Amino acid sequence: MTFSGRRLFSGRCLTLVTVLFLLASIFFGCVANHAVANEDIKKDLQLAKAAEQQRIKIVNQVMGSVVAIYGEDRNGGGSGVIIDPTGIALTNHHVIMGAGVQGWGGLADGELYRWKLIGTDPGGDVSIVQLEGKNEFPFTPLGDSDEVRVGDWSIAMGNPFILTEDQKPTVTLGIVSGVKRYQPGAGQNQLVYGNCIQTDSSINPGNSGGPLFSMQGRVIGINGRGSFKARGRVNVGLGYAISSNQIKNFIPDLLATKLVEHGTLDANFEDRDDKVLCANVYEDTPLYKLGLRPGDELLEFEGIEIKTANQFTNLICTLPEDWPASIKTKNKDGKVLEINSRLFGLPYRQPDPIRTSKKEEDQTPEERRQIALREQLINMLSAPPGKVREKKTNKKYTQLLLNRLPGDKKADDEKLHLIEIKDKILKADKEVGTQHIRLLTDGRLRVETKIDDKVQTHLFDGEKFYLLKSGQEKPTQLSSTEAKLSLQIVQALGIHTANSKTAFKQFGESLLDGGGRVRNINAYRFKTIDNEDDWFYFWCSMYDANGDPAIELLKACGEKDSDQYDGAIAFHDWKVIEGFNIPHRRINVFGLGEKQRASYANETVKVKTDFDDSIFKIDEAVETEDSK
Amino acid sequence: MKTVCMALLSLFLFTGAADDEPKSNFTTKALAVAQPKMAKIYGAAAGQVEGYATGIAISPDGKILTTQGVFLDGKQVRVVLANGKAYEASILRRNRQYQLAILQIQAETPDHFELSREDVGQQGDFIVAVANSFKVADKEEPLSATLGVISLRTSIEARLTKRDVAYKGDLILIDQITSNPGAAGGAVLTLDGKLVGVVGKIINSSETNTRLNYAIPNSVLVDFVENKKTEASTSVAERKPVDVGIKLFAHGGRASPAYVDRVIRGGPAYKAKLKSDDLIVSIGGQTVGNVRQFEDSLKNLESGKEVIIIVKRGTELLRKPIVPREKK
Repeated sequence: MTFSGRRLFSGRCLTLVTVLFLLASIFFGCVANHAVANEDIKKDLQLAKAAEQQRIKIVNQVMGSVVAIYGEDRNGGGSGVIIDPTGIALTNHHVIMGAGVQGWGGLADGELYRWKLIGTDPGGDVSIVQLEGKNEFPFTPLGDSDEVRVGDWSIAMGNPFILTEDQKPTVTLGIVSGVKRYQPGAGQNQLVYGNCIQTDSSINPGNSGGPLFSMQGRVIGINGRGSFKARGRVNVGLGYAISSNQIKNFIPDLLATKLVEHGTLDANFEDRDDKVLCANVYEDTPLYKLGLRPGDELLEFEGIEIKTANQFTNLICTLPEDWPASIKTKNKDGKVLEINSRLFGLPYRQPDPIRTSKKEEDQTPEERRQIALREQLINMLSAPPGKVREKKTNKKYTQLLLNRLPGDKKADDEKLHLIEIKDKILKADKEVGTQHIRLLTDGRLRVETKIDDKVQTHLFDGEKFYLLKSGQEKPTQLSSTEAKLSLQIVQALGIHTANSKTAFKQFGESLLDGGGRVRNINAYRFKTIDNEDDWFYFWCSMYDANGDPAIELLKACGEKDSDQYDGAIAFHDWKVIEGFNIPHRRINVFGLGEKQRASYANETVKVKTDFDDSIFKIDEAVETEDSK
Repeated sequence: MKTVCMALLSLFLFTGAADDEPKSNFTTKALAVAQPKMAKIYGAAAGQVEGYATGIAISPDGKILTTQGVFLDGKQVRVVLANGKAYEASILRRNRQYQLAILQIQAETPDHFELSREDVGQQGDFIVAVANSFKVADKEEPLSATLGVISLRTSIEARLTKRDVAYKGDLILIDQITSNPGAAGGAVLTLDGKLVGVVGKIINSSETNTRLNYAIPNSVLVDFVENKKTEASTSVAERKPVDVGIKLFAHGGRASPAYVDRVIRGGPAYKAKLKSDDLIVSIGGQTVGNVRQFEDSLKNLESGKEVIIIVKRGTELLRKPIVPREKK
């Protein structure tokens, strides 16, 4: 607006002109603003539509993995989600309690598939079922629930009010309202929701066991309960999902067909003076023996800084019995103590036996069948906790998992390959010696270790293990147990395991034994048993860095807690070289705390098809000295 | 429309950003503003009524604004601040019409909301409610967040004496579920972290078991905090009875329809030009079905304050302003 004409006009005239000017500028200004607003609206709508498209894309991407869980009689039920292409699905324990040990699962393709209960966790309200009838099921991998933030979009899917006729799930959108929530349990140590996710996505009866998805299309939780009160069992904006990270801690035990108990420390902690202090610890417990005393301050649990007793309770709720927990405390003198101890189980009440008014001879065949199925469920819940219930099923999952170890390509290769690795041995970052591994793809191996001019040669000729020490004339034969305790043999067989379809078969038959955390990674623990009932353990990862299901050898040891003899070998930095999977670093670790003792770092790796296999023969082995 | 779109824009832009920076999303800003200023309040429970609520700090010297309720009637009221520290609180003021209360704790609350009269948020704007529904959060744990939009800015002229309705006055209807135990007194914010109002007490229809989700707007909060209206005008018990200068047909007792028998000359109804045989349909926003309800409605009116009376005359509905007078 301009007043430059001011001097030319006077009095009323000026006012009139000014008003005209003002009007004009307001009018034109309005038009201009309007145009801008329209542009904004257009842009906003485009963005809104793009976001909507993205949401629809994610919904369509994950929808196929959602299961409507029905019991054998196809009445009632809940929801579930498939997390593995073989049809392994998650649901709630309380859904299983209603649906039984087997039934029907409806998928978005409109078909009903048979499912069978594999394992259950009454404490955390999670069960694993196996769907059958399809070679490859649509699935959605578990996400990292620790990455979930309050306010993130959350998509719940499932079968609320058993609504669906065509088996397509109901989709409800909301946000994450809270993380690390605690919801107390029911009964004896059952259905406790620790460190769970709270959402305002509608969760109603029937949604139980169904997935809560992130906008990245990952399962971040299993919807299991809501805050219901006074108004009947309908959504009031507070639903709770068991976190995917808790579920990851339990999956190995569940696939191993165990009844899983939740862990406890046998010590209590409470808030006092802005600190979390040990209120009591029983004298005959491992924690006491490891040095924990009442009044000690809890600094860390599982590597997480602890600020309140509630936070600690929340965390320990998410761990199964036998979990190798790490605890950091400070005593009254200010001394910091780092303890590793396996958790004890919190027992469940045994389920009541079935009572029927009818005598067995009066029951109809259908009634008898129903009772038999109910009995199966009760037997499962009465099983001794922490024990493999069904060896056959366990074996199936063991095989399924181990088949996923990389290296299949070469296993079918008829031609023998020689893998030759030269390592330097480091202790506290100082080179102390060298190691020379030669491994044939059929499992024969020869490892020469040189420390302080002393040479040891470990050898497996395909049948027996031998050790030749420098100065000795003849090699001594090693028993299978001695071989398992040899760090050299374990290293070489670990590499063999990663490049064959059989894992440590030289040590016996493997079964899935449970889970745990190795190097802060969720792991499957396998136990290998030989003919003489002697044992060996190895650990494999469950997921890769992206969180996709992937299995990789992490650690191997003759003892479960790696706290005897020479400890364990941890395998690091797997890389594919000429088609073979090679760990570029191996570390000798000791105890549950995985204290590092020595490491073996690759200098050179060679793969040969042209070689002299006489070095793997025992007669020649005596003659060949250090072949470096 | 524009507001809706702007809200959408910010919502989706934030969502887009979430891919690169997983630690933030579109509610991050509002929550960062609200959570440090929130208080968990615990008091006495009475029967079905919960003994806890939510509050917000409104001054640096420990004044906490919360909802009025029976939880304030016990021996002790405990306020837990966002840092998890607990304080015993005294009740500075509580008020039935606003359904609000101010508590005082002996602690500094540097993190607090600066209340203003400004009407923040329009119909369609996204809002975040931060409240301790079902006391899910304990000690220092952050309160629950829910997402919704403003459905309507309106007012409710319900009877305070009616059990279902706990609030009277201006309110903001919202579409997320906040009508839950313990949520009242929670903060409602726009996505950029401006206070829209506080979550109101549960209004539940005993007939349909449905609830109203609403926020009490800033202007009402300020009125209450500044103690604008006298306590006398806000309490039904202390309010003087009013009269509109009408005699009703009451032959069938108090359940008969509220037909005007006679208009008293010079009275409010006379000035409003009401006539004999008019059927009173509503007064002051309250539906009148019979003589009894008309008499009950009068209890909620203030003398000298104009309200609308709706009458049916013949086949016509007439809206008339009427100014009740003090009953003689």
